[in-house]
Amino acid sequence: MTKLEIEAGNSSPSVRFDPESGLLEIGGESYPENSKEFYRPLIGWIEEFLEASSQPVTLRLTVTYMNTSSTKYMIDILDRLEAAHDEGHAVAVEWHCDAENGRALDTIEELKEDFEMPFEVISEWREPDEW
Amino acid sequence: MANFDILSLRTIFEDQNVMICFNGPFSHSVIEQLGEAVKNYLRSSEAPKDRIADVFSVFVEQAQNLKNYTTRTDLQSVQHSSGAGGTLAIAHEGENYIVSSGNLVQSEDVARIRRYIDPLLEADKGELKRMYKQRLREPVEQEEGAGLGFISMARKAVEPLRYSIKEQPDGTMFFNISVVI
Repeated sequence: MTKLEIEAGNSSPSVRFDPESGLLEIGGESYPENSKEFYRPLIGWIEEFLEASSQPVTLRLTVTYMNTSSTKYMIDILDRLEAAHDEGHAVAVEWHCDAENGRALDTIEELKEDFEMPFEVISEWREPDEW
Repeated sequence: MANFDILSLRTIFEDQNVMICFNGPFSHSVIEQLGEAVKNYLRSSEAPKDRIADVFSVFVEQAQNLKNYTTRTDLQSVQHSSGAGGTLAIAHEGENYIVSSGNLVQSEDVARIRRYIDPLLEADKGELKRMYKQRLREPVEQEEGAGLGFISMARKAVEPLRYSIKEQPDGTMFFNISVVI
């Protein structure tokens, strides 16, 4: 499979997936006009990769804001990774968030409750004009 | 228009401590640009990051609801020229921010709106979390849109959601929702 690269838009996140390293990165803000149009192809791509390859996958999220419909699709992505994990595929999630935004941290911890796969929440310092 | 008076409009905004207000058709680019303005405004204030994130998040959910509702083609009969689009404002209310929006809705949608919001008014934090997680897990295709957004607003609010649906003199219905953060 080839590399996947989607540039961030004003309201859509950047996506990078390198099939060689198995690193999938999603970052930035996510409140696209049509989240289905944005996330469906990405989910299809992830599924295809998980079927075609036994390469370990790391999902690194540096998403700073997600609206509710993006959150639904993010759960969908996490569910697929969890299913792969259940079948023995090496999968890990790293979710980075702003140390000063306790709300974001709580939200991620709450989502994490539903998963058994390796899931690390990384709280880090960010510039005042980021979150 | 000879009667147009921007000073009286400004006085109303100032009396109600309005920070940002938009009235008209909500397109996605309006949402993005207003969103930038909202973030910049809040960052220049003393507000902590969590609070900025909460206000921004409620703004996006409300603005996207307005856009999704008012662009539905079956609404053309309701959205006569004077009532097209929606109104959204962010204001200061004492120590808090209030994000409030309103638009005309079809009378057949009133029951659905009440069905979404009424259960949230009495729910405590734990129940809201349970409702949120349950709705998050419903298949994406079945999502009716605004349901999850309202729960998310209720979870960020420091007091129960305020909403009203008022019949207008011409028989249309005006739906307003306000979230105190």
